[in-house]
Amino acid sequence: MSVTLARIEPSIAGVGDYVALLKPRVMSLVVFTALVGLLIAPGHVHPVIALTALLCIAVGAGAAGALNMWYDADIDARMLRTAGRPIPQGRVTPGEAAGFGLTLAVFAVATLGLLVNWVSASLLAFTIAFYVVIYTMWLKRSTPQNIVIGGAAGALPPIIGWAAATGGVAVEPIVLFLIIFFWTPPHFWALSLYRAEDYARAGIPMLPVVAGEAETRRQIVIYTLILAPLGVAPWLMGFAGPLYGIASIAGGAAMIALALRVRAERHGHAASKQMFGFSIFYLFLLFAVLLADRLWGGLAAQAVSLFAA
Amino acid sequence: MMVSDAMDETPKTEDGIRLTEQQLRARRSRSIAIALALGAFVVVIFLVTLVKLGSNVLTRPM
Repeated sequence: MSVTLARIEPSIAGVGDYVALLKPRVMSLVVFTALVGLLIAPGHVHPVIALTALLCIAVGAGAAGALNMWYDADIDARMLRTAGRPIPQGRVTPGEAAGFGLTLAVFAVATLGLLVNWVSASLLAFTIAFYVVIYTMWLKRSTPQNIVIGGAAGALPPIIGWAAATGGVAVEPIVLFLIIFFWTPPHFWALSLYRAEDYARAGIPMLPVVAGEAETRRQIVIYTLILAPLGVAPWLMGFAGPLYGIASIAGGAAMIALALRVRAERHGHAASKQMFGFSIFYLFLLFAVLLADRLWGGLAAQAVSLFAA
Repeated sequence: MMVSDAMDETPKTEDGIRLTEQQLRARRSRSIAIALALGAFVVVIFLVTLVKLGSNVLTRPM
């Protein structure tokens, strides 16, 4: 009988490789949107509890990133954008990434449940499972609607933040969810327009690969036309002030103008690149102004109560 | 039974695998990171315990 031992090579993975598995840039956006959800929620949350919740959400998002890199190692190796990740580079084995991701996911959900509340923990568990199983394992390789439906995972953090603060879910964080949900397709499709070859080489059925550039540009306009009014909704619904109203109208108008430029573009991808870059700024702007609005409102209310006393 | 050995890149001694300088450095940095993460976890549990129990943290029924 012949037995071939698998290569048992002591790991050379450094701390930086494990940090890269957590997708720190995605994590920072998750933490930021969750923070906004947490801070616009009614009532008072003790800062230590709020920080604990954010830490758990950050670690949970990182865990989802590591599990995504574990499952997608084969396609990551074929794409220029992702070929430098730790697993394709051979610095971390897929098994190490899977173990790391699963451990962090269990710790993040359990800690959030035990120390904050189980509604937010359940939502975090759902988000991780949705991103890893529904998006990564199923949709990403099978349909051009991958990032539309999968985008729900990236849109959930404000709801988790709100749930961490209140123990429930309300219409305000659902509006924030919808903003991120409808922001995701134009954002990623703008990127995929100038990365289409990369996606095609990896066999990922992104919209430009499957339906062509013209259809992708048309869909970018449609989603942006839904996104822009949704961006203004927090002001119209009264949970954001006039500063937010102005920023969201101006930002939404700029997004629509860029989407129309993307649609009109015939040669090159200058408009697509501009749209991709601006879309990040737009989302950041909306949430930053919402946060500033709330913090300023809170400070103003404290000042008024101090003077009244 | 024949076992084809695939650990040829790592120097071996009779006691087992001897790690290279790079592997030792990587393991040390991972160990420090795990220690820091565990320390941070303990601090989080400690602080949240204080916050949740408040002054009751000193109440110890005999």
